[in-house]
Amino acid sequence: MTKASRWAWVISLVVVTGAALVLSFLLAIATNNRSFYEEHYSWLFWLNLTVAALLMLVIGIAAVRMVLRVQRGKFGSRLLLKLAAIFALVGVLPGVLIYTVSYQFVSRGIESWFDVRVEGALDAGLALGRGTLDAQINEVSQQTLLAAERLGDMGGDAQPLALERLREQMGASDLAILGASGQVLLSVSRTTELSKPERPPLSLLSSARSARVAAQLEGLDDDGSGVPVAGSPPARIRALAIVPSTDVALARQERFLMATALLPATLATNALAVQSAYREYQQRSLAREGLRKMYIGTLTLTLILAVFGALLLAVTLSNQLVKPLLLLAEGVRQVAKGDLGVKQVFGSRDELGGLTRSFADMTGQLSEARSLVQRSVAQVEAARTNLQTILDNLSSGVIVFDREGLIDTVNPGATRIVRQPLSAYRGRRLDEVEGMEAFAAMVWRRFESHADAAESGDRGHWQEAFDMETGANRDTLSLLVRGAFMPQGARLVVFDDITELVSAQRIEAWSEVARRLAHEIKNPLTPIQLSAERLEHKLAAKLEGADQAMLTRAVATIVTQVQAMKTLVNEFRDYARLPAAQLLPLDLNVLVAEVLSLYATAQEAGTLVFAAAADLPLIVGDATQLRQVIHNLVQNGLDAVAERPVGLALVRVKTEAAYTEQGAVRAVRLHVIDNGPGFTDKVLKRSFEPYVTTKSKGTGLGLAVVKKIADEHGARARLMNVVVTDSAGAQGIPVVCGAQVSLSFSKFALAPALTVAASTDTAPAH
Amino acid sequence: MALVSSLALAEPQLTSFEVVRGEDGLTLSFATRFDLPASVEDALLKGVPLYFVADATLFRDRWYWRDQLISRVSRTWRVIYQPLTRTYRVSFGGLNQSYPSAAEAVSAVRRVAGWKLAEPGQVDAGDGYYVEFSYKLDTTLLPRPMQIGIDGQPDWSLHLERVQRLAAPKEP
Repeated sequence: MTKASRWAWVISLVVVTGAALVLSFLLAIATNNRSFYEEHYSWLFWLNLTVAALLMLVIGIAAVRMVLRVQRGKFGSRLLLKLAAIFALVGVLPGVLIYTVSYQFVSRGIESWFDVRVEGALDAGLALGRGTLDAQINEVSQQTLLAAERLGDMGGDAQPLALERLREQMGASDLAILGASGQVLLSVSRTTELSKPERPPLSLLSSARSARVAAQLEGLDDDGSGVPVAGSPPARIRALAIVPSTDVALARQERFLMATALLPATLATNALAVQSAYREYQQRSLAREGLRKMYIGTLTLTLILAVFGALLLAVTLSNQLVKPLLLLAEGVRQVAKGDLGVKQVFGSRDELGGLTRSFADMTGQLSEARSLVQRSVAQVEAARTNLQTILDNLSSGVIVFDREGLIDTVNPGATRIVRQPLSAYRGRRLDEVEGMEAFAAMVWRRFESHADAAESGDRGHWQEAFDMETGANRDTLSLLVRGAFMPQGARLVVFDDITELVSAQRIEAWSEVARRLAHEIKNPLTPIQLSAERLEHKLAAKLEGADQAMLTRAVATIVTQVQAMKTLVNEFRDYARLPAAQLLPLDLNVLVAEVLSLYATAQEAGTLVFAAAADLPLIVGDATQLRQVIHNLVQNGLDAVAERPVGLALVRVKTEAAYTEQGAVRAVRLHVIDNGPGFTDKVLKRSFEPYVTTKSKGTGLGLAVVKKIADEHGARARLMNVVVTDSAGAQGIPVVCGAQVSLSFSKFALAPALTVAASTDTAPAH
Repeated sequence: MALVSSLALAEPQLTSFEVVRGEDGLTLSFATRFDLPASVEDALLKGVPLYFVADATLFRDRWYWRDQLISRVSRTWRVIYQPLTRTYRVSFGGLNQSYPSAAEAVSAVRRVAGWKLAEPGQVDAGDGYYVEFSYKLDTTLLPRPMQIGIDGQPDWSLHLERVQRLAAPKEP
C-alpha cells in the first residue's frame, strides 16, 4: 500500500465518519424523533467535535506540508495547491451559502414558534379550566353548607336514613359526619362497599371551623405528561362544613359534615391536557435559547464537517488528478536531462493513465534507439580503430586523397617509405611535398587516365612501378604504386618500397648471367693458354733477339691474362654456383685464426689485429665457405688500407657474443673493421649486389659472395661506415674514418636437433 | 443581575450533618439552607420540574487499593408546580405531597433525618470509614434544550458537598 493510498484511506474514513454523523443528525431532525435527538445530543455533539478536530488536524498537517512544498519549490506543488484551492472553493462556497440561509431560518424559525397569541391562548385555557374547577368547588361547598344547616335544624342527631337522603339531594358520592378532631362518626356512600372515608387534612378542618365551610380539590395530579397518574383515585372535591348547633348551652362537641363529589372525568382530563400543554409550552419557551444554540451548533458543526470534508476531498482529488501529470512532467524533465531510464506508469485506465503509459513506451523506444545508435557508433569506432591499427602497422604506404585531391589520411608506412613528414601535409596537396612533385604528377595522371577508362571494367584500380629519388642523399626508391577510387570521390594510393626486391632480382639475374658467362668463357681459355704456350715452345727456338723477347713477352702476357680471366671466371662461377653449405658445429675463433695465419706478414707489420672473444659458443656453418668469407673480408680490408702508410693502416678482426636479457646467447658476431676511406652511400646500398666495388681492380663479387654465404648460414650481414663525430673536423659534421662489415650468426650448435633443422632450413633455395 | 440576586439570597449551606452509629446500623441526618433563585423559581412556575438529589456513599480506607465502597444511597425529590390547582407537588419515590407555596415545597426537600446508610452488619467496630455526601439541584434531568440554555448559569448551580470521617464507636 503506497503512502498516497494510505492517506486516501484515512481521509475517506474520516470523511465517511463525519458524513455518517451528520446523516444521523439529519435523520433525527427529519423524523422529528426529538427525544432521541435531545437525549443523545451532547454525545453526538462531542463526537462531531472530535471528528472536526481530527479533520482540522489532518487539514492543518496537509496545509503545512503543502506550504512547505511550495516554499521549497517542490515540483508540482503549485499545481496541487491550485487544484486543491479550486476544488475547495467549489465545495465550500455552496456549503457556506446553505449555512447562511439555514442560520437565518433556524434563528427566525425558532422565535416564530413562540407566539404571544399562542401563549395567551394557553394562559386563557388554563384560566378557564381553573375557573370551571373553582365553580365546581364553590357549588359543592354551598350544597354542603346547606346540608349542614339542614342537619343542624334536625337537631344534630342524624339518622343514617336522613343522611342518605341528604346525600341523594346533594348528588355527592360520599357524605359523612365527623367529630371535632375529624374522626368519622357516620358515613353513607353511593357505592355499596363499606369503606370509611378518609379523614380530612387538619388544614381543611381548621379553615372550615373558621369560615363555616371549606373545600379542596384532590387527586387532580399529573406527573407532567398530561394524563392522570395511573392507579390514583379519581379527582374529587372534598367539602367540609360545620354543623350549626341549635342549643348553644349544651356542651356538645362541634360536628362537621364532609361531602365528597367526584369531578366529571372529561373535565378532569381536559383540564389536565390544558395544564400539560401549558407546561410544555412554557418549558420550551424557557429553553428556546438552548434550542437555538443547539440547532445552530449542529448546523455550524455540519458546516465545519462539510467544509473540512470538502477540503480534504479537494486535496485528495487534486492529488489524484495531479499525480499522473506529475509523473509525466517528472518523466519529461528526466528525458530532457538525458535520462531515458524506465518511466513510472500511472495505473489507471483513464486517458491520463494512458498518457503516462504512452510516454513510458515512447521513452523506452527512444532509449532503445539511442542505445542502438550508441552501439553502432561504438562498432564504427572499433572498426576505425582496427583499420587505424592495421594502417599504422602496414609496411606499405597508404595515402587517401579527398575529392579535392587534398591529403586526407597518411599512414606511418608512407612517411617511412618516402622519408617525408607526409602527415604534416594533411589537408594540402601532394605536390606541395618537397621531392614528391613527380610522384604526385604521376599519380594524378594515372587517376585521370583511369577515370576516363573507368568504364572499361578493371575494377577501379591501377598499378604502376615508379622510381623516385628521395631523402637527403637522393636515394633511388623503387615503388610499386597502386591507386583506387573510393566512395565520395576519394582516392586511395597504396605504395610499397620494392627496392630490396628489385635488388634481389638483380642478384638472381646476375647469378644466372655469371654462371653462363663463366661456362662460355672458361671453355676457350685453356686452349688459348695451351696454344700460346705451344707457340712459344715451337717458335722460341726459331726466333732470336728482339723477336724472341717480344714473343716471350706476348705469350707471357697472354698466359697472365688468361690466368686472370680464369680467376675471374672462377669467381663468377663460385658466386653463381656455390655448393650447398655443409652446416657443422665449429668454433669461429679457431676458424678466423686459421685464416689469419695466411696473413702473417700483415699481422707482423701490425696492420692486421685479431681480437677474439672468450667463451664464444659454437656456431653451425660450412668451414670452407666461411673461410672464404673471412678471407674475402680481410682481403677487402687490407685492400682498403693499402694506400695508407704502414704505421697508420689498421684492420681489426673481432669476434663477440651478444646476449639477450635472460642471458641466453642471441648472436655471435664477426666484425672486420678497417680505417680506410669507407664506403660511398651508393655502395652501402648496393654493395652486396655483384659488380659493385670501391676498388679499382676487382670483380665486385667479393661482398656478393659474402652475402650469399651469409644467407646460406642464416646470418645477417651489415655494412656500415665508422663515423667519428667529434673529430678534428669542424661543425661537428660526422667524418667517415673507416668501414665495418659485421656478420651476425644466430644458429648455434647447442642441440643436435636444432642443427639438423637448421641445415634442412638452409638447403639451397636456387 | 446574577450578582444582585446572589447577594439578596443567602449562600446555600449545609447547616447540619450527622452520621450516627446505632442499633440498626448507620443513619444519616442532614439539613440544608438555601433559597430558590428568582430564575429557578420562575422556571418552576412555568412548569419545569426541579430535581433535588442527595447522595451519600460510605467508603472504607484501603492503603493498598482504591478505597472500598461499602454502600451507596441516593434520594431524588421532584418538585413540580401544578398551575391548575396552584399547588406544588413534591414526589419522592411513590410518595406525593402537595404544598400551596414554593417555599413550603422546598422546605420539605431540604432536610432528611434518620436516613439509613448501612446495615448493622456492614460496618464493624473499626475506624477508617468515611462518608461522601452531596446535595444538589440536578440539572441533568431537565429537558435537554433547557440544559443547554442554563449551562453555566450560577443560579442553577446549587451543589453542596461534605466528606466526613466516621468516629470510632465509644466503648460501652
